[in-house]
Formats: sequence, structure tokens, C-alpha cells
Amino acid sequence: MNNYLNLSIVELHNLLLKGEVKPSTLVLEAIEKCKNDEFNALEALNFDEALKKAYELDKKEVPSDNYFFGIPYIAKDNLSTKGLETTGGSNILKGYVPSFDATVISILNSLDAIMVAKSTLDELAMGGSGRSGHKGLQYNPFDKTKMHLIGGSSSGSAIVTAASYVPFALGSDTGDSIRKPASYGGLVGYKPTYGLISRFGLFPFSVSLDHIGYFTRSVEDAAILFDALNKYDENDYTSSLKERTKVCPLDEKEVKKVAVISEVISSIKDEKILNSFKNYVQELENRGVKVDYVNVDSNLLKAIYPSYIIISSAEATSNNANLDGVKFGNRKEGKTYQEVMFNTRNEGFGELIKRRFILGSYALMKENQEEVYLKAKRVRHAIVDTFNKILDEYDAFIAPAAPSVARKVNEDSDALDDTYLIADNYLAIGNFGGYPSITIPLGLKEGLPFGLSITSKIFADKKCFEVAKLSEDIIGLKGLSTSNIDEFIKEGK
Amino acid sequence: MNFEAIIGLEIHVEMKTKTKMFSSAPIRFKAEPNTNITYLDLAYPGSLPRLNKQGVINAIRVSHALHMSIDDTLYFDRKNYFYADLPKGYQITQQDRPIGKNGYLEIEVNDQKKKIGIERLHMEEDTAMQHHYSDYTLLDYNRVGIPLVEIVSLPEIRTGEEARKYVEKIKEIVTYLDVSDGKMENGSLRCDVNVSIRPFGSDKFGTKVEIKNLNSTANIEAAIDYEILRQSSLLIKGQEIAQETRRFDEAKKETVLMRVKTDAVDYKYFSEGNIPPVHLSQEFIRHAIETSNELYDQKLERFLNDYKLNDVDAKILLSSKELADYYDEAAKNTKLYQPLANFVISEVLGYLNKNNISIGEFNVKPNNISTLVEILNNKEINSKQGKDIFQKMIETNKDPLTLKNEMGATLITDKDKIRADVLEIISQNPTLPTDYKNGKTRALGFVMGLLMKKNRGKVEPNLANEIIKEELLK
Repeated sequence: MNNYLNLSIVELHNLLLKGEVKPSTLVLEAIEKCKNDEFNALEALNFDEALKKAYELDKKEVPSDNYFFGIPYIAKDNLSTKGLETTGGSNILKGYVPSFDATVISILNSLDAIMVAKSTLDELAMGGSGRSGHKGLQYNPFDKTKMHLIGGSSSGSAIVTAASYVPFALGSDTGDSIRKPASYGGLVGYKPTYGLISRFGLFPFSVSLDHIGYFTRSVEDAAILFDALNKYDENDYTSSLKERTKVCPLDEKEVKKVAVISEVISSIKDEKILNSFKNYVQELENRGVKVDYVNVDSNLLKAIYPSYIIISSAEATSNNANLDGVKFGNRKEGKTYQEVMFNTRNEGFGELIKRRFILGSYALMKENQEEVYLKAKRVRHAIVDTFNKILDEYDAFIAPAAPSVARKVNEDSDALDDTYLIADNYLAIGNFGGYPSITIPLGLKEGLPFGLSITSKIFADKKCFEVAKLSEDIIGLKGLSTSNIDEFIKEGK
Repeated sequence: MNFEAIIGLEIHVEMKTKTKMFSSAPIRFKAEPNTNITYLDLAYPGSLPRLNKQGVINAIRVSHALHMSIDDTLYFDRKNYFYADLPKGYQITQQDRPIGKNGYLEIEVNDQKKKIGIERLHMEEDTAMQHHYSDYTLLDYNRVGIPLVEIVSLPEIRTGEEARKYVEKIKEIVTYLDVSDGKMENGSLRCDVNVSIRPFGSDKFGTKVEIKNLNSTANIEAAIDYEILRQSSLLIKGQEIAQETRRFDEAKKETVLMRVKTDAVDYKYFSEGNIPPVHLSQEFIRHAIETSNELYDQKLERFLNDYKLNDVDAKILLSSKELADYYDEAAKNTKLYQPLANFVISEVLGYLNKNNISIGEFNVKPNNISTLVEILNNKEINSKQGKDIFQKMIETNKDPLTLKNEMGATLITDKDKIRADVLEIISQNPTLPTDYKNGKTRALGFVMGLLMKKNRGKVEPNLANEIIKEELLK
């Protein structure tokens, strides 16, 4: 079987330009890989439409200024796709076929990128483990014995990029739903500044925290994808009115000063991860970047997870109140409208979702709102104020994206220790503040990847990419995938 | 014991806009069910709200007319509850920061002016229309998302009459501003009433009873008057008033129990994250106010001062905004304001009343009415001809000058011809000049009558009068 799709978007574009491959070659390869999916990554398949479009593009001249012409991709199944079933990973939306495309899908269509399938996720993007969706759990493709998770909620999109079914996949990130699985999958995972990529067509989980982002296998690909999707959209009232400028070309020499949050590092126990991070920081300094260790009140950091859960669950109860079986979706009949709603929601939602809704409702109740929901919002503001000050001083703050490699399929975390509360959940800072934030591969441990997280201040997406590009050069895991990991291991990574 | 009623009103007014408050779906009256909809109206996952600028402008105009302070930043909240007619599972509204605060309006009761305080005015969106049948319900989503403003009065209304006048005033304001149809019968203006009573002199409030489904201002007054009596007689009998929701039974002219209120529903209000706070510049607010339509009171002042109409006529013309607009339009074409008013009131209104149609359904163009008034006033035609031409204008939609020619409706102004006819009449009645000179003024009328008869009424009367006099005095 061909393995063109292990290449980057830029490399594929150059092959297309030279006429060495055709769009249909790439799409056929992607379809073949989807058909052989062993990791439970996929939802609805779009093979016929994708092939039809590929054959049409075969006849056209490849435009030199459009990187996405003929490039196959996969979209998370909480992005609305016209005419193609979109379930949000939930039984309640089984059979729901949207009548409109999300703005990101429309943009990629107009650029002649080719969507071959939808990828599965934690139910309605809640959960973060890659276990809670209606398809069951998703396996980490770096472990052929299927003992490890990929993480979520963008579990399917992480798998299809890591196992090179496609060179990029769209996801969404409300707490760390792109950047965490990117860490477990050895990927570049990007979440832009809030308001730069339109949320129109994204099934809402928590509208003040939701971001659309994506997975690639190189920082350069992530940057060119950002330039394609960074557009004002009148359909999204939170779409930024700022004039948009391209981040490419990136200039790593612009990176001067980065911060390391000491409390995040001290909450990590894994020696291998700490060691890789230390070596990377050393090399950053060798290249003339000033690295400062900065202290943040660890109580504030420990408050991230509870305030995230409260805010996101509260918003989620309301955002998913439309799923009542009256207008669309997997209706369960009843004698009254109340029965229809009750039966539809009772049978349609999984256990985790119900728990979150109960929590969210509790937080919003009149008698609790001040002490729970509004307090969580104040904590969010306090955290954002703290990090705004740090990010005003530095190009970015950096830390390992997670305290460990991917979890085992049956492993649960201890929700009470600092490692979990801080190092496993601090990525939500990016969502609290709407900051641009990226994960790139940092190292490998017994064949499983772990990542580095880089976060910059709002609208400094270019700076975030530049720090990432420099870091990618230092670390040397650019292009990592399941099909080439052995070569990286041989190199001693 | 004597009781005092404490009455508060919550009025929902549907705003007239081309599209919905938060979606781009069109608003078309009488459209086929479920045709004025887009993704958000059915709450499809991933659809997002936008803000309708005209909806905001309308809310500013109403707030201003109600003397309210207008917030310069718009905040929207979600009101969360499950109901068949609520597609998103929440309504977008303004809970914490209404656009308008602390206003009032003035009503006239027993020739006394009374100010009624208004607590707040906020913007929100309408729900779907439900059509209930014996064992099923149909939903029409055309109404979903139509802009509403909710106007909440302070509990300063004391009688059914005051409540009716308050609602009539709101209706007058929104229709004159042209921000709403303001029709209670169509549901474009809806009113919920809270009534409680207490002994005179008490400063405590009694138990509130809510009355719903009031579809006319007359019913508001009747329902409140009934409710005050009902509550008073309960208290006199030593019984308690239950906190409940009642509706007005139009046939019995009574309020009847709908449901007993238990604990208030918790709507779990919180801010609408999809619409960040929107700052309104002072210029935007000022422009919205300056470009708004005239209110009734402003129009009345103008009709009295600029058109110099008498008070009675001005108020008749202002009895509906459409009629006032019609008169305004016609008045652009003539300076004969009072004759125009007379014609509109007697002929046009007479025709509308006789045929039971509204001015909106009247097809004669205003400028044609002014032309007709002009030629009547110039005595180019007489009033009988005027009426005939008016009738033809309604039937044919032609302009009065064309009709005048077609119908030969002209008056004889040829002096020689008139004089010849007058002389002929006198020669047949030779005693007339002597009678006239002896003070029998009837002689003049006699000649005039014969002259008109001979010419089928088409002689210019002033001219005829002059010539007859001359000849009788010879």
C-alpha cells in the first residue's frame, strides 16, 4: 500500500504540483486506511463524495498558491456537515443529518480539500478520555496491543493523524480536547485565539470555552492551516473583528523569552518526561532564548479543574437543552411532550453526560449560583488575570502537556493529587483566557509519545507558532507517526 | 373594610422587523407554517445567534417614548426551561441589564393626569406557535425568534380602568412609532396582569394573583374589576387568597382558575456567551431616537399648530395612526387643511365606516383627495358633483380631474348665458322684481331654484346670485 499520507501537507502539495501524485491517489489511500481502521476512530464515511471530488480535481491544474488542493482530511463528528450524519458521538443524535456545513468545513471545501470521513469523540466532546462516546473506547495507535488510550475528546481525529490516514484532522478543544490527545499521540495539536476561527457549526459544549482547532504532524502545516481558517465569520457573533494577518512565514529568531511555571513542573513525577523537558530547556537557552522559572500560587492552579468542570457543565446543560427529540435526532416516543423529552434524553445520553448535567444544573440553581457558578467564574477571571500578566512579559509559557504518556484503557487517575489537579489539567488555562496554545511532540517513553505545551497571549498566534517551530527543530520529532516511530527510536529519541 | 388594589402589568410587544431577533430568517405575516425559519429557529446543533440591529433600534425608541434611561451596553442572558414551543431549551433575554430602566407614562383618568411608573423594558425572543388538537399538537416555528420587548410596570395601577388606559397608551406608542402592529387580537401585544388587594392605608402587599390570556383592553378592565371584587369578598369572608394563575372567561365575564402556583420555577438564568456585551455609542442611541416616528402627542400638537385644525377634528384624524398618516400625506398637496379635514372625516371616514373597512384597505390615493378638495373649494364643481366624483374615484381609481372631464362635471360660468336664463325666468314671472324691491327676499331664491332646475344644478352659485340680484333690482 502507498504511504504518501505519512507526508506533511506541504510535502504532498509539492508532489501534486510536480504531478507525481494525483488527488485520487491520495483519497484512495485515505479510504483504504479508513477501511482498515483498527483503533475505532471513525463515524460516518464520505468515500463516494470524496472520490467523486478527487476525480474532478485530477482533471484540474494544481494551483501553486493553494496548499489544500486535493488534500484528504477528516473532521471531528461534532462539526456540522451538510448531508452527512453528524452525531456528536452521542446516541441522542443517531441519524441526524445536518442541513448546513460548519464554517471551517465550507472554507476547506472552497479550498478543494477533500473530507473522507468523520471521526469519533467522547460523547458531545465531554469526558476527555476517549472512552465515553457511543462507539466505545478509542485505542492509541502507537500501541499495537491496544492496551492504551489516545485520550479525548478529539480521540478519533488524533488517531487518524497519528496513524496517517490523513495529514490533518479537525477537532475541538474546550479544556484540552485537542492538545491532550496530541500529547498522547505524538502530534501537533493547535487551538487558536478565541474568536479567530469561527465556531459556526460546532456542536456547543461550553460556548465561552469551545474552540475549533486541529491536528497535524508539523508546526508548518499547523501554521498554514491557521492562515486558511483564520477568517471573520458574520455567522459567529463572537468572531473577532480584528483585521486578519498571515502567520506564515514563521521566524524562529523572533523568540526571545519564555516562562516555565515552576508549580506545573514540580507536580510532575515522571523522570523521563522531566528529563526531556530539562534537556529541551537547556537547548533553548543554548540558542539564546531567556527561560525564566515563574511562580504561581499552587492553590490557584489547583482551582483550575473544579472551576473548569463547573463552568463547562453549567453551560453544557443549557447548550444541549435543544436535544429533546422534538425537532430532530433520535426521538423516543411518549404520550406527552414531557414524556418524549424525558425518554429521548434518558435513553439518548450516556452516564457521564447525565452526571455533568446534574452538576451543571446544581451550579446554576438560584440558591447555589453565587457560591458555585459565579464563584467559578471569578476563579476563572483570577487565573486569566494572573496569566495575562505573565504572558505580557514572555513570548509564551511552556511545560510538558501532560504528566504522563497515554493511560492504560482500564486506568483511572487519582483526582486528589497535585499531579492530576495541576499537571493534568492546567491546559484549560488556554480556554479560560482564549489563548493560542499548541502541543508538539517532546519525547518517547517505551514507544509512547509525550508532548510539550506552548501558550501565548491572545492574538499572538504567530508568536506561539514561532516558539513551536523553534522547539520542533530542537526536539527533532517533526513528522512523527505510527509508520515512522521506529526510525526515531533508532535515532535515540 | 375598604380595599385598595395593587396592579402590575407585564406587556410583551412583538417588534416589526424584516428578520428575526437572533437569526436571519424573514418575518412575513400570514406565511405558510414553518417557512420563515433557519437553522437557529429549529436549534440545530452548531447554529449561532446574531443580533438584529433594527430590533435594538426599536427597543431604544420604545424606551425613549416611555421616558426610560437607556443602557449603553447590551447584555443578554439565557432563561432555561424545557417546553415544546422552546426549541433551544432556553430563551435569549435580558435578565440582569434591561436596555430600558425607570420610566413612566401618563394616562388620563377622570380628567386627571396620572403617572404610572415603569420598572424595565427588555429585549427577548418569541416562542413557537402551538396549535392544539384533540390528541396531538402542531408546532409552527415561524414565530420563533420574532423580536419582543417586555415592558414591566411598577405596581402603581389601582383600577381596571387605569390598567386599560395604560395598555391603550402602550399600544398607541408602539403603533405610532411603527415598531409594532400592537394588535392584541393577533397576539402582537400580549398582557399579563398581577392583582393583589390590601386594606387602605396598609403598606404591605397582599397575595398576588396572575391573570393570563387577556385578548383585548376591554377584557383587561373587566377581568381586573372582577378580580378585585372576588378577592375583596374572599377577604371579607375571612378566607385567604391563594397564589394562583387565572384566566378570563369572556362569556361569563369572570376569572377562572388555571393553576395554583407552587414554588416559582427556577429558570437558572446565566449570561449568553454567544453574544458578548455590545457597546452602543451615544451617537447610535441619539440617531435611533431622532429618526423615530412622531408619537401621538407630538402629532396632535402639530395638527393643532401647523394645520390649525380644531381639537375635535384633530383627535378624530388621530384616532388611528394610519388615518393620521393618510391625512398628513393628503395635506402635502394643499393648504386647505380644515376643508381637507372636513372631507376626510365626513366622506372618507363615512365611506370606511359604512363599508366596515380600514384606511389601509382604502384604495384612493391621498393626493387625489386633496385635489378633489381643491376643486370643490374653487367652486369648479358643486358638492353634489364632488360626491359623485368621490364615488367614481373609489370605483375606478382615476384622478378627480380626469373624472371631472369625463363626467362633464363643470359649472356654467358664462355670464351672458346665465343672464339670458335669468331674464327668461323673470319675464315669465313679471312681479318678482317688485316683490324683491319690497323686501320679499324669497324672490331671489325662487329665481335661483328655477335657474338651477333649468341647468340641472350646474350653475356657479355665487355668480348666479350676483346676476339675479342685479336683474331683480333693475
